Amino acid sequence: MLTKKGGSMKNPLTGFISPLIFGTFLLFSPFPRYQEASQAKDIVAKVDELYRADTSSALVEMDIITPHWQRTLKMNVWSEGKDNTFIRILEPKKEQGIATLRIKNEMWNYLPKTNKVMKIPPSMMMSSWMGSDFTNDDLVKEFTFLESYHFEMITIDNPEKGVLYIKCTPKEGLPIVWGYITVAVQEKDYMPLWQKYYDEKGNLIREMIFKEIKTFGKRDIPTVLELIPKNKEGNKTVLRYLEAQFDLQLERGIFTLRNLRKRL
Amino acid sequence: MLLLKMAFRNIFRQKRRTILTGLSMMVGFVLAVIFIGWSDGAYNNIIKTFTGDRLGHIQIHKKTYLERPSLYKTIDNLSRINEILHQIKEVQSWTPRLFSAGLVSVGEKSAGVQIIGIDPEKETMTTHFDKKVIEGHSFSPSPSHGAIVGKGLAEILDAKIDDEIVIISQAADGSIANDLYTIIGILSSGNDVSDRISFYLHLKDAQELLVLDGRIHEIAVSVDKLSHVSRVTKLIESNLDDPELEVEPWQVFAKSFYQAMQADKQGMWIMLVIIVAIVAVGVLNTVLMSVLERRREYGLLKAVGTKPREIIKLVLLEVTILAVLSILLGTVLGLGANSFLSTHGIKFGQGFTYGGMTFDTMYSEVNTRSLLIPAVTVLLSSTLVSLYPSFKAARTEPAKTMRMQ
Amino acid sequence: MMWFDLKLAWRNILRNKRRTIIAGLAIGVGLAAMIFTDALMIGMKDNMIKSATESFLGEGQIHRQGFRLTQEVEKTINNLEWIVAHLEKEEALERFTLRTATFGMITSPANVSSVMLYGIRPSTEKYLSQIDDVIEKGDYFKGDGEREIVIGSDLAELLEVGIGDRTVITVTQAYSGDLVQEMFRVSGIYRFNVKEMDTGMAFVRLSKAQKMLGIGKDVHEIALKFKDIRFASKKGNLFWAEYRLHDNEAVSWIELMPQLQAMLGMFWISLLVMGIILFGIVAFGIVNTLFMSLYERMFEFGVIRAIGTRPSGVRRLILFEAGALSVLSIALGIIVGFIITLIFVKVGIDYRGIEIAGTSIHEMLYPVIHIQQYFIYPISVFVFTLLIGLYPATVASKMQISGALRKSL
Repeated sequence: MLTKKGGSMKNPLTGFISPLIFGTFLLFSPFPRYQEASQAKDIVAKVDELYRADTSSALVEMDIITPHWQRTLKMNVWSEGKDNTFIRILEPKKEQGIATLRIKNEMWNYLPKTNKVMKIPPSMMMSSWMGSDFTNDDLVKEFTFLESYHFEMITIDNPEKGVLYIKCTPKEGLPIVWGYITVAVQEKDYMPLWQKYYDEKGNLIREMIFKEIKTFGKRDIPTVLELIPKNKEGNKTVLRYLEAQFDLQLERGIFTLRNLRKRL
Repeated sequence: MLLLKMAFRNIFRQKRRTILTGLSMMVGFVLAVIFIGWSDGAYNNIIKTFTGDRLGHIQIHKKTYLERPSLYKTIDNLSRINEILHQIKEVQSWTPRLFSAGLVSVGEKSAGVQIIGIDPEKETMTTHFDKKVIEGHSFSPSPSHGAIVGKGLAEILDAKIDDEIVIISQAADGSIANDLYTIIGILSSGNDVSDRISFYLHLKDAQELLVLDGRIHEIAVSVDKLSHVSRVTKLIESNLDDPELEVEPWQVFAKSFYQAMQADKQGMWIMLVIIVAIVAVGVLNTVLMSVLERRREYGLLKAVGTKPREIIKLVLLEVTILAVLSILLGTVLGLGANSFLSTHGIKFGQGFTYGGMTFDTMYSEVNTRSLLIPAVTVLLSSTLVSLYPSFKAARTEPAKTMRMQ
Repeated sequence: MMWFDLKLAWRNILRNKRRTIIAGLAIGVGLAAMIFTDALMIGMKDNMIKSATESFLGEGQIHRQGFRLTQEVEKTINNLEWIVAHLEKEEALERFTLRTATFGMITSPANVSSVMLYGIRPSTEKYLSQIDDVIEKGDYFKGDGEREIVIGSDLAELLEVGIGDRTVITVTQAYSGDLVQEMFRVSGIYRFNVKEMDTGMAFVRLSKAQKMLGIGKDVHEIALKFKDIRFASKKGNLFWAEYRLHDNEAVSWIELMPQLQAMLGMFWISLLVMGIILFGIVAFGIVNTLFMSLYERMFEFGVIRAIGTRPSGVRRLILFEAGALSVLSIALGIIVGFIITLIFVKVGIDYRGIEIAGTSIHEMLYPVIHIQQYFIYPISVFVFTLLIGLYPATVASKMQISGALRKSL
């Protein structure tokens, strides 16, 4: 009988956690290696490998731009395998000290202002990846890009010099909303330039742009990721990796509840 | 003129017949008046209870807020709206509200909620908010970081009065809104589904949490009489003259409830038709009998030279005067009864509790149509029914009728 | 002597046809009205309950205790096989259907939203919910594809999807807490014109939902529909206790929708008063009619007294006349009342067209025939008429003969 006000039930950390987690996942989640004949798949595999690591630690900045506000968050992110993630916000001051811990299917937030640890219920955990410019594909267990798509080299109108284009079409029956994804990489080193996500009718829904390749340790990776939704006016998210280390020896006790409460 | 005098004299001459005929008209009239007053009153009672009590009769929002709610679709010019509402006399009270979604936690348990920021005094005046708080107490006039949770929510969280409750949400500036409150009350609104997700804060606390100072999402307005709702809605709209805002009556924002009530209204219409028919038949009956048996009289009149046309007029006049007199007298009685029932109502059994209020009395209503419909019925039926015998009386041979018993 | 009076009474009645017809009509129509209104009132009450329960909820539901509050995916109904077996043999039950119900997320390329995901069995579900009746685009699980999903029109708009488009559903699996995702293609879009239903619900096949949730053959909810709409609210009903075993709960719409119960209560009270007023009008009509028809014959009664009938004889005669009149009227009233009621029982009162365009379905209003309507009301009218007739009967028996002979109304 009554209409529910206030919009859908999103986890409020939506605005920054989900693009963050997605970005982290994208950068540091372990994908299985694959031996494949086709060049397309090779290229994608290489891109995949760019972001594989058993452990990682990074200093990250994120700009979130919406029609109503703009913010920039700065945070530390640690990850171990694909199950453990720890994030602590450093800036802005209002959110300084807020931390999130994820172990497998459980997630907790720490809020220094109230000095409370909140457990996120499983239902909200799903929603925590919602509502931002990113989808909820991130947090599901058996997600593997390489296994889920067919790959083929394509040519586009007005191709750029020295750039290869790949079309990724999802295999039928898999839980993917996209009709297809096109990826552009540099021919010389297979560095990703952009990814475009289309629905089944061929409408461009969102675009991810990779910029500013830098060297962190032994890797060269694009350190700036821009995600631009094409169906929502005035929204954009930019992820910037200021520092990053891979396959490092992490301190013990990072992925614990006690660590959540630690004041900076 | 002569006819009129004769009509009056005839009426007062035959006391018993007049009384019986008049009584049948009057009693039928009065009962019909009470019936309509009661059914209208009951219908409006039910609507008032289920909408005015929580949602309000009229609501004001930013345009498109109802179809697609959004934190950012706020009403910002509160003071101007207050002024306008103040000037409309049919508006009884109004109250501002703020909405958002969030996640709360008490101890180990957490749950998704709808955050509702209210002005305690205004909300109580408009929807009896304080009566819905079944445990603890309602908000004090000034904000004090207290929270009131719905009954179901308290159960899910295993929360009690004085427990600390944390909330996390997204503020209007994009920052993470989070704060700590103390549970000061538990609320039962009558709607179990919403009680499972309702988290009330003092409006100022909510505005602070969500960085929405001076802004709200909704104004709920309560009107003195349900029949004024559509007029007042238009009035507010024209006085506000703001294309950014929309003003809606309960039929729009409580559409499913409205549809349910529509069903009942149709049923009541049928009953009204039945009542009207019965009253008409009753009047028919007595008028017919009283006119028919006076055929001898009319025969006499014709014998002394009265024209047939005048006989018809005489009959009709008598009946009409009687009807009017009965209606006038009946109006006094009927109005009296309806007024009494509209203020005192009828108490039924032990009643039931809903939304913190106990309902054991139903009220009638005083309105125009409760007088108009019965009056028209009585007048029409008595006039129509006397046409036949009056024609017959006018046409018959004087000798014939005078020989009749 | 009495036999003679009775015959005389009948003859008097039938002699003055006009008077008898007029009087008889008044009483008869009044009775018919009472019978019809009673049937109507019962029908209205049934209608309200039907409208509220038929769209999706059902007249009763069975869950695991506590499921309604927390909606935890693990809280499936205990002893399902036993319950289903017994429900199938349940006399009073017309239909039932099994459902899973979980909170989940639905994504499309354009947007995302939270939903209540229901796993249903289309073949049995269609008897308990009206979703199949309000399908706007596509169809209601016509094929047997496992990846079919049916959503509301508002949700489809929000997600910017049409028939055949991809969506992904995410739910939490039971016991492990893992998130499970599956792709579905929109196969049907419905429109209830009720916001909560058009935005917040999504339907897939029961077997698919069970697989996703990892609950094997278990379900969360059984919706019930009884042969008699009044069964669920009957006092002393043992049905609920029977299925409330093993930590399950069985509740009727009364507990599922307390608001409906409240509304009905208020509605019924108002109807009752209206019924009383109606009876008052009819009663008064009888009084009036009887008085008029008897008073005008005072001369006649005077004559009867003059020729030697004893006062008690006159009284008896009048009472018999009143009784005879009422018997005739009652016969008329019962016949007319029955016919009118029957007509509407068959045809129903249809006010769906008067609604705002494009509303959700509404039930036709059907009056309900109850045998007691044809006993209680007629008998009351008969008794009442006799009682009323006592007054003029007594007056006639007591009056001075000469006075009566001189009287003319």
